[in-house]
Amino acid sequence: MSSTEFSIPIGPQHPALKEPASFLFKVDGEVVVDVEPRVGYNHRGIEKAMEARTYIQNLYLTERVCGICSNAHQTLYAMNVEDVAGITIPPRAKYLRTFIHELERIHSHLLWVGVAAHEIGFDTLFYYVWRDREIVLDMLEEISGNRVNYAWNAIGGVRRDISSDKIPKFQKMLDILAERTKYYTQVATTESTIINRANGVGYCSKSDMIRLCGCGPHARASGVNKDTRRDNPYLAYDEVPFNVVTAESGDVLGNVVVRVGELVQSVGIAKYVLDHLPDGPIREKFNPLQKIPEGEATNMVEAQRGEDIHYLCSKGDNKPYRYKIRAPTLANIPSLIVKLKGGYIADIPIVLAGIDPCFSCTDRMVFVDETKEKTWDMTTEELRRYGIRWYSNGLNK
Amino acid sequence: MVSISDVISIIIFPGALFIIVYALYCNWLVRKTVARLQNRRGPMYTGYAGLLQPFADLVKLLAKEDITPGAANKPLFSAAPVVIFALALSAVFLIPIQSITNLWAYTPIASFEGDLIIVLLILSLIVLSVFLAGWSSANLFGAIGATRVALMTLAYEIPLVLLTLGPAIMARSLSINTIVAWEVGSVQSFFTAPTIWGLLLGVVMFIGFGICVLSLLAELEMRPFDMAEAETEIVHGWQVEFSGKKLALLTLGRDIKVVLASALLTSLFLGGPAGPILPPIIWFILKTTFCVLILSNLSALFARFRIDLMLRWAWQYLVPLAVLQVMAIVALSGVI
Repeated sequence: MSSTEFSIPIGPQHPALKEPASFLFKVDGEVVVDVEPRVGYNHRGIEKAMEARTYIQNLYLTERVCGICSNAHQTLYAMNVEDVAGITIPPRAKYLRTFIHELERIHSHLLWVGVAAHEIGFDTLFYYVWRDREIVLDMLEEISGNRVNYAWNAIGGVRRDISSDKIPKFQKMLDILAERTKYYTQVATTESTIINRANGVGYCSKSDMIRLCGCGPHARASGVNKDTRRDNPYLAYDEVPFNVVTAESGDVLGNVVVRVGELVQSVGIAKYVLDHLPDGPIREKFNPLQKIPEGEATNMVEAQRGEDIHYLCSKGDNKPYRYKIRAPTLANIPSLIVKLKGGYIADIPIVLAGIDPCFSCTDRMVFVDETKEKTWDMTTEELRRYGIRWYSNGLNK
Repeated sequence: MVSISDVISIIIFPGALFIIVYALYCNWLVRKTVARLQNRRGPMYTGYAGLLQPFADLVKLLAKEDITPGAANKPLFSAAPVVIFALALSAVFLIPIQSITNLWAYTPIASFEGDLIIVLLILSLIVLSVFLAGWSSANLFGAIGATRVALMTLAYEIPLVLLTLGPAIMARSLSINTIVAWEVGSVQSFFTAPTIWGLLLGVVMFIGFGICVLSLLAELEMRPFDMAEAETEIVHGWQVEFSGKKLALLTLGRDIKVVLASALLTSLFLGGPAGPILPPIIWFILKTTFCVLILSNLSALFARFRIDLMLRWAWQYLVPLAVLQVMAIVALSGVI
């Protein structure tokens, strides 16, 4: 480290981070030289907890993996269980799931646009976007009774129906959203102070993005044309027309362009789904304590932040034997580091926010000894003793 | 011999007490305007439309625990808030507001040839104290904020000084009071006998006013120039370690700086507290309120600049424009 370099810690607690994660920046003046990421401050043991609960109970647990992509995780879980149990969900349920999935994307992307504006100190845009986000939240509340955790899925379908007399009202709300989105697209791509702060900031090339396995809007901003909804259709996505939005610039402006573009697409999908809602039942029967046959399933959905992957292993019980969640933020951290290096301190918050990070979905706990190349688990009691030893011996110094 | 009216005008009106109360009002005005522009409500509950909210915040901060970091340079760290507050307050004394012996007069509390220079010096000294405040707090974010404050000075100080020269050249005086008197005189003569040169001078002065507003926006660390305290980047920058009474003094000092900036704008470009029918104090309040409204409007309109972009922008546009403006004024002063 040369004499002009010093390190600044961003996190675990920092106003730019809505959740705990730590990035140690080595800076030279205002320029970032190196970044050392550290995740794992918010481990909650959800995967382990799932092994102790029945399939119905786990619906509610998976929904709480993340506050913003709650429905994406829950849909994915329900899809996995249905795959192993051999249940085919009715077409109406498929469409209803798609509808909520897209509404959730709209609310999450609007939230992101607001947060990004806040990070570059444009609070006026932040307040306006969040005001209009209320439209989609009101809609979700009217449909499901909740603003963020909708408890929408059941195993074999969905829990509630949307009555046909409400559809015109929802169409109207979606029209307002489409109009506002168009306005924000215009603001975000033409306002010079935003372009100053976003253009060329946090660059990651397409080849780097592919090499580091980035996913979601973050990868599409670098020109990686990849979207699970189109490449590996699930729910009703093989029947709904939509475009995959990409940008070539690979910077924060690309992130903005992709997300506002996706907003327009999502509104389109939601409107199409409402127009083409098939008739019929909304779910198959599934008993609360029903056992499902032995088997494995892996599925992925395009959550708002990228590709979300879940794996389920069943041993023929009414509880999963093993459940594994890979949230999209984890896949985006390596390419995030590329984006941060060489940038300015002032750009750290917006580049960090650019991947729409959600660290608590990502955090896992595993012990690694780098020198001996082995990994192991610890029980709570072992962990407690380890903690006492760590602090009493002054090892943390 | 100090008369009672001198003491009253220094301590109560239009001195310290009035300025502090007015600063709190300006704080409320900025918060309320920005809030309404951002589709929020702003302060609501304390007093009529939240008018007493800045005062309540001040009292709350005064009662809070005052922490000095162990590694901080203690004398500097404790002195900085007091110095910033005192400097800002004393600069307002040099600006004409209202005389307490004559309802229609507006001589400043202290006025002498060269007080404009003193006000500009005080503005620079405030920047220096802010830098020392951030630097002495022994905090990384504080240090980064402090260096940003110093860097920003390079961008806005030169245009600011150049622009204050314009009116001074025209009035052929460095005393703010004389400048105001010249402005009043020239506006009156323009309305009795309009000339094309007078109109041209008005246009040039208007441009000067615009650039001066931008420079003062940077001086006040308001958006889009708030990178020295940028909450999301460096956690309030140079203020990060200040708490309790020190923070209260700092916020009050910043509010007084808002008064100072708008009063300076008023005196140099808007004819000071002079105006028809109403007494000077009312005109002063109306004109400074107008300036504060402009400042808060601008601060709600943009995203924060990055420090290097701001420096480049200032040297590309602000400085050349200011030089041109001064040259135009010099040329016009030969004609008029």
